[in-house]
Amino acid sequence: MRRSRPFPDILEECLELVLVKGATVEECLRRYPEHAAELKPLLEMATATKKATAVQPSPEFRERARQQFYAALRQMPAQKKRAGFSWGWQPRWATVVAVVLALLLVSSGTVAAASSSMPDQPLYSVKRASEQAQLALTPSPLHKAELYARLADRRVIEILYLANKSKPEQVQRTTQSLDKHLARIADLATTHKMAAGEARAPMPMPTETSTLGKTAPSSVEAVPLEKAARIAYEQRAELRAVVMYQATHHPARLKAALVSASPQARLALLRAIAVSETGYEKALRSLEDQP
Amino acid sequence: MHRAIPHGDTRAWGGAQGLAYGGCQVHDEGDLVRRATQGDQQAFAQLYEAHFDRIYRYVSLKIGDKAEAEDMTQQVFVNALHSISSFKWQGKPFTAWLFRIAHNQVVDYLRRKKKQPATLLNESLPNGDSNPQAIVELSLDIERLSRATRRLTEAQREVISLRFAGGLSIIEVARIMGKSQGAIKALQHSAIVALRKVLLVRDNEKVETLS
Repeated sequence: MRRSRPFPDILEECLELVLVKGATVEECLRRYPEHAAELKPLLEMATATKKATAVQPSPEFRERARQQFYAALRQMPAQKKRAGFSWGWQPRWATVVAVVLALLLVSSGTVAAASSSMPDQPLYSVKRASEQAQLALTPSPLHKAELYARLADRRVIEILYLANKSKPEQVQRTTQSLDKHLARIADLATTHKMAAGEARAPMPMPTETSTLGKTAPSSVEAVPLEKAARIAYEQRAELRAVVMYQATHHPARLKAALVSASPQARLALLRAIAVSETGYEKALRSLEDQP
Repeated sequence: MHRAIPHGDTRAWGGAQGLAYGGCQVHDEGDLVRRATQGDQQAFAQLYEAHFDRIYRYVSLKIGDKAEAEDMTQQVFVNALHSISSFKWQGKPFTAWLFRIAHNQVVDYLRRKKKQPATLLNESLPNGDSNPQAIVELSLDIERLSRATRRLTEAQREVISLRFAGGLSIIEVARIMGKSQGAIKALQHSAIVALRKVLLVRDNEKVETLS
């Protein structure tokens, strides 16, 4: 029974909903009316605390710190060779592996083979055509936005690959695609938000198992729900989590690649970093819930 | 080389390990750490970029001084760089190790500067809400919050710093502090209650001073 759950567990669940999933304090209180009086001031305090701690390093400090750190990093000893693995078997077995791979590629189709190809490889145009086909076959704005998020993920991987190979022109072209994908996420999220309109669903049901090993029943039972609206709400929350994850990781990965990038690739990478930071920020803003 | 981060343990409040997604291919932190310990500069650079902001926020809250927090954040990563070769990856989280370095530096700093505040015990805090609206309306910034957390117990302050400023999940905080998840949730509860009381007291003192 939910009422037997320790209060700190309930508080943690509400903190997760308010601080991560974007639910309002009032939505949490409706879920736990019996604890509303106790929860309300704590959730407000937690929200104010989270807001106060969301300080960002100044750009000057960030750059100064990065330069100092990277200077220290360059003084590290060179990478040790990995032990326990030898390519001595390569000449004979490489042929066998190549043949097996070729058979696999043929049997699974050119499209499948193209899915992991990079912009400087022959099958890349097949990969992009396949992506366009997927987009055309995805009518829902939210699903399409999810697909664009996956494609943005691919573009970042490609940019890293191209920067490593010192191909600045192709980095630039792929960065343009990344920019477009992120802009489309923002557009589609806005379209979906407008379409959802007043059909905004209440909070998703809790899925976390309590410390007593029982899944907490939903207080939403008492509230009439539109199933489709709730599913859309959950999908939107999941998409936001995806974009937030990428927004945290991808610019960081691109920045990290600056260490080993050639001077030519470095310029293109800096542009990619700027595009990823602004693009993800815009996409995240568009995915925020309506007040 | 790439692996999808599994759902579950990685939840955090806006932290770098943040949220999982089935279709999102990302580097496994364990792989990055292993490479960093072998001297892979790019791997360490990725770890730096992923953790820089959260360490800065954590240190800012603990210190409450922007310039000092900046210096200390830089020092945390330089120290981590010098010690990374001795890091043993045995399922023990890198995050815990990094925050431990930050924590130790903060403690050293406070000891050196003799700024370690006296802990205000919960018993000395007022009961009830003399001004229930105050907390809603308060405009809380990091300096004020930092001063307020100095009135909490050491464990409460650490939970607030790791959870809210560091953006770590309950599981990660439990690992860092060597306590159970249940204990951390209970500490979090008592810490938020105590923090609210401290800020209410200060708001009331401010009102009295003005009048």
